[in-house]
Amino acid sequence: MSAVAEPEETDEPEETDEPEETDEPEETDETDENASGAAGTAVPYADPLGDPFLRTRFALPTRPATFLRRQRLVQHLDQALRTPLTLVNGAAGAGKTLLAADWAADRRSRAGQSVAWLTVETGGRRPGVFWAYVLQALRACGALASGAVASGGPADATRVDRRLLAALAAELNARDRPVVVVLDEYDRVTAPEIAEQLEFVLHHAGRGMRLVLVTRTEPLLPLHRYRAAGELTEIRAAELAFTPEEAAALLELHGLSLPVPAARTLVDRTRGWAAGLRLCALAALESADPEVYLKEFEADRSTVADFLLAEVLKRQPEETQDLLLRVSILDRFCPSLANALTGRTDAEPLLVELHRANAFVEDLGHAWYRLHPLFGEILRAHLRVRLPGLEPELHRRAARWLRRSGSLPETLAHGAAAGDWGFTAGALVDDLAIGQLFTGLRTDDLAQLFSGMSPEDTGPATDLVRAAGALSRCDLERGLAHLHQAEESLNTDVPAVSDAAAARLSCALLEALAARLTGSPARAERAAELAEGLRQEVPAHLLDRHPELLALLLTHLGSTRLWAGRFEDARAALSAVAGTPGGAATVLPREEAIGYLALIDYLNGWPGRAERKALAAVSEAERFSLPEPCGSGLGRLVLAAVAVDRDELRRAQALLDEADRLGPGTRDPVTAAGRAVATARLLLVRGEARAAVEAADPGVFAAVVSPWAASHEALVASAAHLAEGRPERAAETLRAVSGDQPACAVEAARLQLAAGHAGAAVDLLDGVRAGGRTGPAVSVRAALVRAQAAERAGDTATARRLVEQALLDARRERLRRPFLDARPWIRPLLATAPLHELAAGWLMTPGPPGRGQPPATGERPSPLVAAELSGRERDVLERLARMMSTEEIAGDLHVSVNTVKTHLKSVYRKLAVSRRNDAVRRARDLRLL
Amino acid sequence: MRYEIRVDGHLSETLAKAFPELGHVVMSGQTVLYGPVVDEAHLYGLLARCQSLGLRVVEMRQLPE
Repeated sequence: MSAVAEPEETDEPEETDEPEETDEPEETDETDENASGAAGTAVPYADPLGDPFLRTRFALPTRPATFLRRQRLVQHLDQALRTPLTLVNGAAGAGKTLLAADWAADRRSRAGQSVAWLTVETGGRRPGVFWAYVLQALRACGALASGAVASGGPADATRVDRRLLAALAAELNARDRPVVVVLDEYDRVTAPEIAEQLEFVLHHAGRGMRLVLVTRTEPLLPLHRYRAAGELTEIRAAELAFTPEEAAALLELHGLSLPVPAARTLVDRTRGWAAGLRLCALAALESADPEVYLKEFEADRSTVADFLLAEVLKRQPEETQDLLLRVSILDRFCPSLANALTGRTDAEPLLVELHRANAFVEDLGHAWYRLHPLFGEILRAHLRVRLPGLEPELHRRAARWLRRSGSLPETLAHGAAAGDWGFTAGALVDDLAIGQLFTGLRTDDLAQLFSGMSPEDTGPATDLVRAAGALSRCDLERGLAHLHQAEESLNTDVPAVSDAAAARLSCALLEALAARLTGSPARAERAAELAEGLRQEVPAHLLDRHPELLALLLTHLGSTRLWAGRFEDARAALSAVAGTPGGAATVLPREEAIGYLALIDYLNGWPGRAERKALAAVSEAERFSLPEPCGSGLGRLVLAAVAVDRDELRRAQALLDEADRLGPGTRDPVTAAGRAVATARLLLVRGEARAAVEAADPGVFAAVVSPWAASHEALVASAAHLAEGRPERAAETLRAVSGDQPACAVEAARLQLAAGHAGAAVDLLDGVRAGGRTGPAVSVRAALVRAQAAERAGDTATARRLVEQALLDARRERLRRPFLDARPWIRPLLATAPLHELAAGWLMTPGPPGRGQPPATGERPSPLVAAELSGRERDVLERLARMMSTEEIAGDLHVSVNTVKTHLKSVYRKLAVSRRNDAVRRARDLRLL
Repeated sequence: MRYEIRVDGHLSETLAKAFPELGHVVMSGQTVLYGPVVDEAHLYGLLARCQSLGLRVVEMRQLPE
């Protein structure tokens, strides 16, 4: 794979890879100016799912020339600025969207109001996707220019982290002028939790946010409460209905003059329904005598839209009818796409004309159109009757056009709707998007989409998708079978695949994953080499668009290298992944890679570094609302192992329980061995030797033996023998421990010494590579073994000197376990003058001098804080604890309220809380106060 | 479960095809859609379909088996 610069690691125990403190509170004060300045202008934004195609969802729908502004509704809607929640509620075609869009455009242009617009689509039913779009809509209108939520966002489609919502609410709350958030077609949101989340954000955003829901159905919010508190503006169907005067004015715009009494009967017939009136005008205009037509319509008893649409449709030229029926399968279209469906070239003038006449078609800007949702639905019914059986073919054509235009998600949706699985899977593979089956917002959608594939669909691409699905569920047998099949057909009938390099690269990714799951470094290296060669053959922009592909591949490679004990090689691959630019697409491999790096640090004897990385892995997952379990869950296991080294046994147990409860998302040998190490060591410390031996067996199948996993297993077995009075068996078992594993070797030396083999112990220590990679957990243990050997040889001075050095090294890392393991011989030493002071406070309970004794299960709360609080954050936190309000703190510290809020946000983040009281309580627990 | 859904106005044959699982009959200015309904989800789906086709539901009731 790509040459990766080795990260510079020094022997200094203090690390410099602390998360950088980059909060610039003063910047927040400018947010609001930026927001209003950017409102209404074209902000370069992309779809949160990486698809620029969907930008139309954030744009205000344009009003047709025949749009009638109704002042009474505009005035009522102005109330939206005074109440947190506004509801525009009415049937399809009642004119809700145009009313809201016209109002929003007017507020933007005349008052400089920030308005975020989002047209909810069916994909937005799930919280993760919904909030990703809401954040994007806010960014698009400049309301989230800076701050914590400006770059983050959910990475899992099905959920959103409460902390992200809290951060969003806090950011909105800090605004001087509210941002109006309009959610159009909110009826498509059916998940109750989204309503609950919206209410949470709305409540906590206070005066910084005004929510306008445009919906056909009543939302699942506690409207009665808003109503009772006077916090709700409601515009409902009755109010949206056209009055006779308005109906007359509307028909006038269409060029139909109608006296008000005649308009009144028309309003009675249509119940003032906007869509009905509009269709009526169109049908009448195209009839021989409009007035007679309207009279006939009034007498008719057909369902309004059904009848009128059929009327208007049949009066269109044949080509127009055909076009309308065919595009009814699309959410949105441009002339070229419409042409692809009709097989003609006349879509552009037809669409322009349809839009001009305000018949059926709405302009989305940038030459994109959509059918009015109501008419689209009815037209689809007509399509099925008039052109039966054509639907799959239309979907197929749409999919092929969309494939060329580069919109993957829509390509896949239409390909699936056409039942054309070879094409659909091929599109995914050729786009180098197969990694999306493992990580990112689309994972669930894709799994569901491809679940419709039938076994008859064959071909390399479908086999690759099947293999990916099986491997993502850790179903090795099935995954390997499909992968094998895909490789076979790639080798035999290459022409069947339009882009063999992309398919082969996808193969390499799955091979690497298979290698990881089977603990097979050679296989992973082969896959990586293959991928390295293929990288040149695939388009660079596709690799850029899908950073997850190589990130996943490198993670798998790093995992197998780590399994094989090649820590530095593993670190090279994994560091490259950890440094991959952020974003939802790569969050899973990043989290896994950081977790692996933490394990390497732990195995090298650097508990502090390991802890920091493990916490970073956990917080990375939280920042993007990754579900639990996610990835390998290695972070918690490493934290547990570190806790054992520090003799924080309750914490270790809690972490292991948590890891067990969540279960691993990915079952690979490294994670299994990591779990075995942490669990067995905890059990050993507790004196449960039998259980420890059982737990030490990772119980995995792997192609090669892992030196460190095997050594750790042997250590536990040996310790158990020793504990049960079999020193010879203990010594014998230790022969399996490799000298290449310094952390294991020093433990082995201790056991040898305990078993009475001082010579063997010192030999082992001398054999430990004096490389610069090992950390205090190794050096402290080694010093203690040498000290014990020296003491046994009667050289107390040397022993004391060594223990002193060990204490100095261990204190910073709070490494208590090695000293506890060294009882009872070390106890008298620790009671003597210089050593006693060194051990005081962290190793020994404070007590009268001379009685110092290491606490058996000394438990001190260990901060779960990824980053230290800055001085200013501490100032804010102290005042928070004194029950001061945000304003009071700002006054006291001579800074702006926004600055205080920014500090509070980062305090919350660092303490992993979302409320004041929790922050204070947490800070007290951690003795920060 | 069997249900009947009464909508306002006479439904065209074309639009009635949007409810292939239901029978329909036109009477006194209304159209009655009737037939088996699998479960609640289906029921709400039918209501949503009525709404998205611009139909006004005037009555809906479960029929005795």
